[in-house]
Amino acid sequence: MTGTRAQRDGYDVGLHLLDRQIIGADDRLVAKVDDVELTLDDDGALVPTALLVGLPALLPRFGPRLGSGLARAHRLVREAAADQAQPLIIDLDLVAEVTSDVRLTRPAHGLLRRMDQRRAEDPRRCRVGDLLGLPVRCAALPRRSKVLDLRMVGAPGSAGPHRVTALIVGPGRPGALFGYDRRSEPGPAVVGSVARWLHRHARVVDLDEAVRIDREVGEVGEVYVGADASLHPLRG
Amino acid sequence: MRRTVAAACALLALTLTGCGVVDRPDPAGWDQQAGTALEDAASQVATARLALRSAARERTWSTYTTVLVAEAEEAAASTEEDLSRVQVPRPRRSAAARVQELLSRAVDAVAQAREHAVDGVYDDAALLDELDRVDAALEHEHDRVAP
Amino acid sequence: MKRYFAVLLGVLTAIGGFVDIGDLVTNAQVGARFGTSLVWVVVFGVVGICVFAEMSGRIAAVSRRATFDLVRERLGPRIGFLNLVGSMLVTLLTFIAEIGGVALALQLVSSVHHVLLVPFVAAAVWIVLWRARFSSIENVLGLMGLTLIGFAVALWQLGPDWSELAAGLAPAEKPAAESWATYAFFGVALFGAAMTPYEVFFFSSGGVEEHWSDKDIGVMRANVLIGFPLGGILSVAIAACAATVYLPEGIAVETLGQVGLPVAVGLGKIGLAVVVLGFFAATFGAACETGLSTGYSLAQYFGFQWGKFVRPKEAAGFHIILLLATVLAAGVLLTGVDPIMVTEISVVFSAVALPLTYFPILVVANDPDYLGEHVNGPVANALGVFYLVVITIAALAAIPLMVATSMGQG
Repeated sequence: MTGTRAQRDGYDVGLHLLDRQIIGADDRLVAKVDDVELTLDDDGALVPTALLVGLPALLPRFGPRLGSGLARAHRLVREAAADQAQPLIIDLDLVAEVTSDVRLTRPAHGLLRRMDQRRAEDPRRCRVGDLLGLPVRCAALPRRSKVLDLRMVGAPGSAGPHRVTALIVGPGRPGALFGYDRRSEPGPAVVGSVARWLHRHARVVDLDEAVRIDREVGEVGEVYVGADASLHPLRG
Repeated sequence: MRRTVAAACALLALTLTGCGVVDRPDPAGWDQQAGTALEDAASQVATARLALRSAARERTWSTYTTVLVAEAEEAAASTEEDLSRVQVPRPRRSAAARVQELLSRAVDAVAQAREHAVDGVYDDAALLDELDRVDAALEHEHDRVAP
Repeated sequence: MKRYFAVLLGVLTAIGGFVDIGDLVTNAQVGARFGTSLVWVVVFGVVGICVFAEMSGRIAAVSRRATFDLVRERLGPRIGFLNLVGSMLVTLLTFIAEIGGVALALQLVSSVHHVLLVPFVAAAVWIVLWRARFSSIENVLGLMGLTLIGFAVALWQLGPDWSELAAGLAPAEKPAAESWATYAFFGVALFGAAMTPYEVFFFSSGGVEEHWSDKDIGVMRANVLIGFPLGGILSVAIAACAATVYLPEGIAVETLGQVGLPVAVGLGKIGLAVVVLGFFAATFGAACETGLSTGYSLAQYFGFQWGKFVRPKEAAGFHIILLLATVLAAGVLLTGVDPIMVTEISVVFSAVALPLTYFPILVVANDPDYLGEHVNGPVANALGVFYLVVITIAALAAIPLMVATSMGQG
């Protein structure tokens, strides 16, 4: 496998980490990365801290309305269970490396544990799925721009800083980029150029003071991008 | 939201008119259905005939022949029944009577073929002739009804 | 000797794709009604499935990832779920039909009605899926299915007018009695059958089951280039036999018994026995392929352990799905529904599943993180894009044509 994430300057969460297969150290398949937990640390940086697995993590990703409806239905299936709405977690320090799949340092058996209520209610924690698709208000961007992906520096399983450095915003759905805009070697030229044309207005917004993420737990928030934010084009 | 509802209603109306919810018997439509029924019946009669002939030449084994002819009989019977359920438009009343009689004759011939197959009798010349005649009659009627 | 067996995965995949119960009847039906004027569609479909099976096989060999794994990664959970539903419906409906098909083939040699045989066939299929080694399933059923080559031998023996058959290959030679809409419907149906998604699910998952690595790319390509063209040849032979015997008599093919009769005419009881064995093997093989693919798709979407390369205990969810699918299939068939009708309905759902399955394959086949130096060259990309466009057109045309021609009744 050529070039793990650690050997590059970083990765995009939606493209390179979400929905990947998680494999234990004993080569047994564990689950898919249904979502990723982000924690706001003391320096104000968003740091990925855990992989989230299970229907409570997957269903909300089906969209703001459909997803929450499905999640609610799932919760009602066994209303008596206190933790029915909580996903299962794998702490990020159990990740050995991320290539085309996510390899863990421990065998699969008995690995997943359910998130406890305290962690679920921690206001400093949120999920990548909550951020993807948030509407973006910015004078320099088209009206219906949304957060399409989160650009990270570092990699799971490797030393050094590992946090969200930028948002990829633009009109369109998250995940529709397929990586064409960020790679120097495009795939089938036709598909690549169609993808690039569809996302000609997409931009990389560095996550600094000019960017404010407004989120209440359980509600769709918004991202405010100030006039002095640094916007870059996607390629490069 | 209103646009979606209007579009859905338009689509529904279009589909319903296409399907002919109000089923008025239409001579051209009946002609087509009768033509298809006659074709199907001819196919089943020809299958029965070919099956018996192959069995007579010992090209198949008895179970195979029986299954083949039994399936042809079942198909012929359902063809006849399906056409009899279609409402006949007035100008086609006499044609319909003719076609139904012919179909019924075809079903009888194939049923007899199945009985022979079960009994292992493959060389009944009279039955084979009847199958030939019915096949020819079905084709002739098909040309009259749906040229 | 073992090296020759190595191509049987491709052969078995092709059998499930080209000569399962639906295709056995459709190929003969097409031959009986259209002569050889639709053969070009089969050839076209063979090339298409070879292109994409090679890509998905390469992905399986180099990155050990099976196709449905990639669908959710590249399309996201929502569209991936839409594909899951579409693919599952096609695969599950075909699985139900195949078990019915095995019963139909057995009915031809026993005097037992096919519905009565269904519980035993379903039990046999489940036991094989649970207990038999993947390589055993592949080798035994792949080899047995090759007996359908009896159709080619029968065609030779029937002594048709070869120049007339060859002249009939042109689309313009379509029999006048059939409309162009019906021609188009059967063309789309044949093309869709040649490129059914469960073929790439099974082929790529089979590659992972066989522990292919990048050293096995040559073997994988042999599987593709031998298996699928062979499947196409079997299809064409069945159609040509039906054309030779049925077209002059005006017989339309609707039952499995009618599919085999031309071989009886040409070769007698022995030839017929060989192809009925082929019917049994092809339908049983297709049942295994579609049954396993049902499990593969679900497990590869949600991420739990799948495969026969681990003990059943370690892939319990996968095997439970197989059991439930088998029970469901038996239940549906015991209502007496015609298995062949079930496959015709599944055509509808493949319209949804086809483009959503092949697009991720094309994208990932260009991703150096997956394939390193084995990414697509320009030829593979050009063919891939071309076939993706054709697949999308066929998918869009399938349902309107089905409605317009009332499933080919014309």
